[in-house]
Amino acid sequence: MDIGAIWSTLILNPMINSLMWIYSGLAQNFGLAIIVFTILVRLITYPLTASQIKSTKSMQDMQKSKKWLDIQKKYKGDREKLSKEQMNLYKEMGVSPFGSCLPTVIQFPVIIGLYQAIIRALAVTPFQLLELTRHIYPFYNAAALIPLNNYFLWLDLSLPEKDYGVAIAGFTIPILAILVMATTFLQSRLMTPPSTTGDQGANMGRAMTLYMPLFMGYLAYSFPSGLALYFVTSNLIGILQYGVMGKLDWRNLLPARFSSGSKTPK
Amino acid sequence: MKHKHYIFILVFIGLAVTLSACAGGATTASSWPGLTVDEQYAYVAYNTQVYAVDLVNGSERWRYPAEPDNNITFYTDPSLSQDGQLIVGSYDFVLYSLDAESGVQNWNFSGADNRYIASSLVEEKNIFAPAADENLYSLDLNGRLQWTFSSEGESWAQPITDENCNCLFLPSMDHTVYAIDPQNGTQKWRSPKLGGAIVGTPAYNENGVLFVGTFGGKLFALNAEDGSIIWEFSTADGGWIWSGPTLSEGVVYFGDLNGYFYAVDADNGSQMWQLPPEQLDGEIVGSPLVIEDSIYITSEDGILFKLDTAGRIQWSQPIGGKIYTSPKAANDLILVAPIQIDELLVAVNQDGVRQWSFIPVEK
Repeated sequence: MDIGAIWSTLILNPMINSLMWIYSGLAQNFGLAIIVFTILVRLITYPLTASQIKSTKSMQDMQKSKKWLDIQKKYKGDREKLSKEQMNLYKEMGVSPFGSCLPTVIQFPVIIGLYQAIIRALAVTPFQLLELTRHIYPFYNAAALIPLNNYFLWLDLSLPEKDYGVAIAGFTIPILAILVMATTFLQSRLMTPPSTTGDQGANMGRAMTLYMPLFMGYLAYSFPSGLALYFVTSNLIGILQYGVMGKLDWRNLLPARFSSGSKTPK
Repeated sequence: MKHKHYIFILVFIGLAVTLSACAGGATTASSWPGLTVDEQYAYVAYNTQVYAVDLVNGSERWRYPAEPDNNITFYTDPSLSQDGQLIVGSYDFVLYSLDAESGVQNWNFSGADNRYIASSLVEEKNIFAPAADENLYSLDLNGRLQWTFSSEGESWAQPITDENCNCLFLPSMDHTVYAIDPQNGTQKWRSPKLGGAIVGTPAYNENGVLFVGTFGGKLFALNAEDGSIIWEFSTADGGWIWSGPTLSEGVVYFGDLNGYFYAVDADNGSQMWQLPPEQLDGEIVGSPLVIEDSIYITSEDGILFKLDTAGRIQWSQPIGGKIYTSPKAANDLILVAPIQIDELLVAVNQDGVRQWSFIPVEK
């Protein structure tokens, strides 16, 4: 079995058929099917999200500890030794250096799989439709569902918003892309803990908060709107999940000088 | 810190480019070639070009457009008019009329809001062009819009007509067939839901019966007077029918996506014989070609088969690549349009011996 077949069996086929099965139960509304599917995906991957939050918190606590600050100072000029001591401290405090990014990495196949599932399920060309027929499970009547209804609110879920969006004076207003950027920014800001200026990790976090919404907005603008709908829903559910866990920090929405968490060390 | 921002920007640009590549560019084929023939040329519409190929030796007579434009792609079977026009729809939502002799554009019609996936039906004075915007456009031979018929689904199959009932039959992805008055575009009847999308062109016989294959794994015989179901035939394992059926001597021939090929009695829908997938190597998407007592079919695995009317395989000719386009007859040749190999058109004689092949030269 080649990698493509394994990918189809484990990721793509379950996603396509889940989407279509949900679609059949939701008045054949593919937009609602994507939203419900996203909620299910976020619930299934909740242990990963929780683990990510826990790892991030442990890492931040460790980086604020006296031991960490001491070794930074002590081995400032010796990168090799500093790295070794940091690893020892990771072990000592039971923190995994990859604990916070691994759950994010694991979600990439979900995003890629979902993108492929949406494209295939909506099947707007003969090749896509022929390809779809090869992914369908036999235990439900998929023939009765095809072609799927690809309209939801003002969206054509099979097309990028740039191809059909609301145009004013000849310029297409990318409403969905703006929503994706806004929710991505909100999620990043609300979930980024207060940090000290000059902290390398915090600098990286700030850069991510700046560039990630732009990147996601670009994807939302250029790729079929079904994927952008997934992004918006996923972001909102992510914020909700963090809120339920009591991890949201609303102070982060304020400029740095008003946020008590952003203090410059004396 | 500043250089870290550049790294982020580069990483995101890299990701965006990679994802864009995954999505496929405009030049990635989204369907298979369209193919039509007259006495002199074969016309192949594939990706960014329409080619006219000389039937004598497979040489290129012309191509349209001279310079490929990635925004304009062609996959429908071109249609010929009696006054020498070649009508071909594009994925840029435009219907083109070309001079069949020279390949020069006569006119274009840009009234549709979606792709042309189905071929147009060209009559003596009219062009009936179904688009994926759920509309059927009737034009005169100068490209002027006569009327528009709106259905509830996209049409991916060429409509057919019948002189006796003055009808135009439009198969639809909405699981029904529409009968339309070709004079004014009013609906005469609409068939009941047939259990699945219809993507193959129906067949029609002199007794006023319309034969339609569906994704529901059934072939239906419909009364052309009112669209009622006369009989239905179920495929083995519920195989979805993409191929439009071909009618000959009271027998309906068609294949399914499970790789079965069937001969069904047109009068009562009883199966006369079937060939299983083990003998035909792959899905059958194209319609069969019937010439007298011979049936030519292609399977996805790139093989052309000749059968007799009793269902016995006379010969099989590996063409290569994959084949989804229906084979066409031209003079004494059988033409096949494969994909995923260099050859875009292959001509064999009726004994399966290759006569020539056409490989588009990159210009």
